[in-house]
Amino acid sequence: MGHIVRFVLLIALALPLQAQPTISPGQLLPDFSLPAVNGFGQRLAEQRGQAVMLIWLGDCDACHEQLAAYQLLAEGRINEGLVSWFVWTPAAGQQPPNMRLPVLISQPRWRTGWAFEPRPAVMLINADGVLDHLILGDLDDNYSRVEQRLSRWLTKNNQ
Amino acid sequence: MTTLIRCFVAILLLGSVYTTAEEARLGQDIEAVKRSVLELNQQLYALEEDLLSPATTRAAFYFSLSHGEFFEPLSIEIKASGMQPVQHIYTERQVTALRMGAVQPLAQLNMGPGKHDLHVLVRGVDQLGQQRQLVIREQVEKTEQPLMLEVVVSDQPELSSAKAQLQRW
Repeated sequence: MGHIVRFVLLIALALPLQAQPTISPGQLLPDFSLPAVNGFGQRLAEQRGQAVMLIWLGDCDACHEQLAAYQLLAEGRINEGLVSWFVWTPAAGQQPPNMRLPVLISQPRWRTGWAFEPRPAVMLINADGVLDHLILGDLDDNYSRVEQRLSRWLTKNNQ
Repeated sequence: MTTLIRCFVAILLLGSVYTTAEEARLGQDIEAVKRSVLELNQQLYALEEDLLSPATTRAAFYFSLSHGEFFEPLSIEIKASGMQPVQHIYTERQVTALRMGAVQPLAQLNMGPGKHDLHVLVRGVDQLGQQRQLVIREQVEKTEQPLMLEVVVSDQPELSSAKAQLQRW
């Protein structure tokens, strides 16, 4: 009986560990291909040589108004070689945000992709496909932080 | 003294000539070993392929787009009993390549001999930007020979539409 209890406890402890993010700055990100709600799918490996900003959305039901600032930020940096994608994880009954930038769909049914937790999060991926910055937390709260870090990062990358 | 220096220089020169000849021979040996390793690797690869995917179970899927004026693929899924579903998501670059005549190797897998109900679903958009799905439901027979199937999406200009077909190689 003691063994069973220990076994159950071990599994219970191991499960939350599995859900922890295994991605951290300095790491080469695994490739993915994900479909988009507004056009062609996107593949991370195709962007080698470019700086990429991945914006992982949290709970989002047609949340385009909340993302307007990020869209403007990303579009303002296109000339500096920045590629930006939103990654939306649909929940039941939710609608995707209506954006000009690609909105990728992250769903377990697409085995060509991977999911990231915790969301929301912003990833800045350098031209070699390595994650340089990972900013976790609410997108509104983190906007200034993302803007500053993005600016410094792009300046450094383009030097 | 001069003789001694001459002798010393001669030894040094001889030594360097010997070393160069030795290095050249060593280089040739290394090249030969490299070639052998590559040949062995190729043989092992062929053996591995035969063991893991013999002709009796070998199957491959390809995808091509003829013109693509009335249909732009966004993703493809292929399902059949007894095989892992095949999925692919198309990027703009890939669709451009397909439009230029590229044939995409989608998947190489194992499929048991016999009849299989194949379900191919190609999602995409039509010339008006509307979501469209092209579906193929077909029974294919896997014999002892490798099965090579190509999903061909071609335009039907008379209908201003496109269709998907399965072609055997």
